[in-house]
Amino acid sequence: MQLLRAALTGIVFLLLAMPAAAKDKREPIVVQDVHYGEVLFHFYKEDYFPAIVRLLAARDSSRVENHLKESELLLGGLYLSYGHHLEAADIFERLLADSVDQDIRDRTWFFLAKIWQQRGYLERSQGALGNIEGKLPKNLEREARLLQAQLHIDNGEHDRAIALLDKWKGNTEWSRYAQFNLGVALVRSGRIAEAQSILSELGDIDPWNEELTSLRDKANLALGYALLQDGQPNAAKPALSRVRLEGPFSNKALLGVGWADAELESYERALVPWMELRGRDLLDSAVQESMLAIPYALAKLDAVSQAADHYLNAIEAFYEETNRIDLTIDRIESGLFFDEFVTDDPLDSTGWYWQMEELPTGPEARYLFHLLATHEFQEGLKNYRDLNYLYRNLDTWQQNVVVYGNMLETRRQAFAERLPRVEEALARADIDALVDRKLEFDSLLNNIEESNDWLALASEEQFEMWGEITGLENNPALAADIPEAAEVRDKIGLLKGVLQWELEKDFKDRLWRIRRHLRQTGEALVETQRSRRQVDESIRLEPIEFDTLGDRVYGLAPRIERMKAEVGNAMFAQQQFLSDIAVGELSAQKQRLDTYTIQARFALASIYDIATMSEAAE
Amino acid sequence: MNRQPFPSAAMAATAVLCALLLAVAVTPATAEDMQPMAADTVAAAEELASADAASRGEFRSLDKDVQDLKKEVLDLNRDLFLLEEELLFPANSQVAFFVSMDVGEYFELDSVQLKINGKEVANYLYTEREAGSLIRGGVHRLHMANLKTGDHELIAIFTGSGPHTRDYRRGATLNFDKGIGAKYVELEITDRVQKQQPEFVIKEWE
Repeated sequence: MQLLRAALTGIVFLLLAMPAAAKDKREPIVVQDVHYGEVLFHFYKEDYFPAIVRLLAARDSSRVENHLKESELLLGGLYLSYGHHLEAADIFERLLADSVDQDIRDRTWFFLAKIWQQRGYLERSQGALGNIEGKLPKNLEREARLLQAQLHIDNGEHDRAIALLDKWKGNTEWSRYAQFNLGVALVRSGRIAEAQSILSELGDIDPWNEELTSLRDKANLALGYALLQDGQPNAAKPALSRVRLEGPFSNKALLGVGWADAELESYERALVPWMELRGRDLLDSAVQESMLAIPYALAKLDAVSQAADHYLNAIEAFYEETNRIDLTIDRIESGLFFDEFVTDDPLDSTGWYWQMEELPTGPEARYLFHLLATHEFQEGLKNYRDLNYLYRNLDTWQQNVVVYGNMLETRRQAFAERLPRVEEALARADIDALVDRKLEFDSLLNNIEESNDWLALASEEQFEMWGEITGLENNPALAADIPEAAEVRDKIGLLKGVLQWELEKDFKDRLWRIRRHLRQTGEALVETQRSRRQVDESIRLEPIEFDTLGDRVYGLAPRIERMKAEVGNAMFAQQQFLSDIAVGELSAQKQRLDTYTIQARFALASIYDIATMSEAAE
Repeated sequence: MNRQPFPSAAMAATAVLCALLLAVAVTPATAEDMQPMAADTVAAAEELASADAASRGEFRSLDKDVQDLKKEVLDLNRDLFLLEEELLFPANSQVAFFVSMDVGEYFELDSVQLKINGKEVANYLYTEREAGSLIRGGVHRLHMANLKTGDHELIAIFTGSGPHTRDYRRGATLNFDKGIGAKYVELEITDRVQKQQPEFVIKEWE
């Protein structure tokens, strides 16, 4: 799954990177809109849900205008990564035809085919494989061929699967899988001899990794049982004996070896592998069956008393196991298992690639181990988990929207409270009168400049001094024709001259400074007028904005409520589906135990009958 | 012993074989290379008899419902996301601060501290995965704020490992003018190849 993740991420990257001139060399993605980069950030972090939401929002608000084409492809890739495969396919079907290189197109179809096969959309999977026009890279080509064979087998077309796999040669891991599939398809078609030659070869390989070792075990097991069923116990034994003693298939192999010996009426030999199974986990049907097989062999060897003991043990063990299964069924039907399953699930990890890292810790885990390994159950759990994510997401939004509603009401209230004060303040601030005053100043300054009225720009101190001087000048006592008066008149004349000279000297500079201040005042007044218009506009628009936002907030609340209900219903349906599968599987196990119990009781009765008859005869 | 106390081996073999044959066509789920994939293999190998056509049909029907719901919830999330942004950060006062990396050969980012007008508003510690996302071209929205129109001062302090894996701490400053309308500011970490040093640049987007 990790590699599927890497491959899909790679495909999305390839879809987005623009082809460069040289073949197979692609330009890196150059982010021209920050919001597009933000989506990529979440995509690379593998947080697909937030990435999709951000991309949808960015597209909706025209924030990715420089990446319109890539954003559509990225959306398709994100949908695919998130497991929203049908929506992804819609986008790819629309865009892949003419906008993407054929090799990338083919790879994308291949991955869609693979995902659809896993999800049971067999026709779609076949269609996607059919859309592949060129030649896939060698490793994908092999996998695609296996996928095609799988689809044939799923459709019951074993001959077509055989024909497809028969040509496969080589000593690669893929060829070994093909060999196994071919062998199994032949067994299904009743061609045991042909299957024997293929599975025997596979069952005798020297594996180079754990996976192939496991495959070899499976091949030997399948072959052994096929031969047993075909009435060839002698041929079955070597195959079954090649299965590892400690592997996941060893129980069934040991059981089969025992049956092969029993078929050959070597009951003592049969007891050896069956006895080995006694100490193993009773959950395994092979172990359960061995509990009946042992007394069967003992009875055949006339160890009737020991056989009776074993049957009694088996009945007791089956009874206890049945009780445990009942408890597990109750727990699953109550929904507890599924509740616990999603309780500690982090809210930020969703997507196609998720798989259960650890088995649940409850008592049901041992029974569900097989189920958890099947695609159908795993995919069902993924959906359940995704639904839980959606439910929690909606729950969070529901709480937020209440807060937003309150926030909006508080703002509306605060606005209503402030508005009279603001309007009062605005009424006090007569900007037009200020403008008029500024214009009057302009006019006055123009007159001063035109008339060169240097005294008008005197400082307060200078103006006072000028007043004092002119006051003294007009003093009647100074009009006297005496030397002292003449001296004072001269001094006053000198002072007046100096002051006038200073005022005339500073006149232009003062004029410039005052003009500058007036200009700044004018600018400030323009800014104030602009702000005033904004304030007026805000006063006019704010209530409309409140209403618009309010409509959205209050309009979304029922949508969330409705979606929550729908998601809740879907969760229930999904849980029911998973529960049915699990309970069905457990019921089958229970049914098998019931059958074994009846057989054990029947055999026990039979032994007692024989013993009674023997005693009577004596 | 005329009665057979247990069925024959052939009957037992049939049951096991049926289970085995349902587990055929194991596909190693390798994609780009030839690594083994234990989980998928086991998954395929352990597929049981319960996976019949009827339950597959039911699964598909439920899956279709889930797909439809996902689409609806995603669309709803889009609307809510936009509403939240407009409500909390109105366009007139909105300023968003982003972090990006170009190449990142000379700098491994640990954290970014952001101060606006002397006040610390964000201090973000990057995980390895997030830093990786930045290097691959992702852009991280570090902070959203509401600012008045006019001049503002931004200080960003980057910490991490510089060349030769030495601790590295650098600051970058920007005085920017917030006008009417949303503003985006990008804190960009680039490689200055000639000096073999990282460079920290602040860019304004309108």
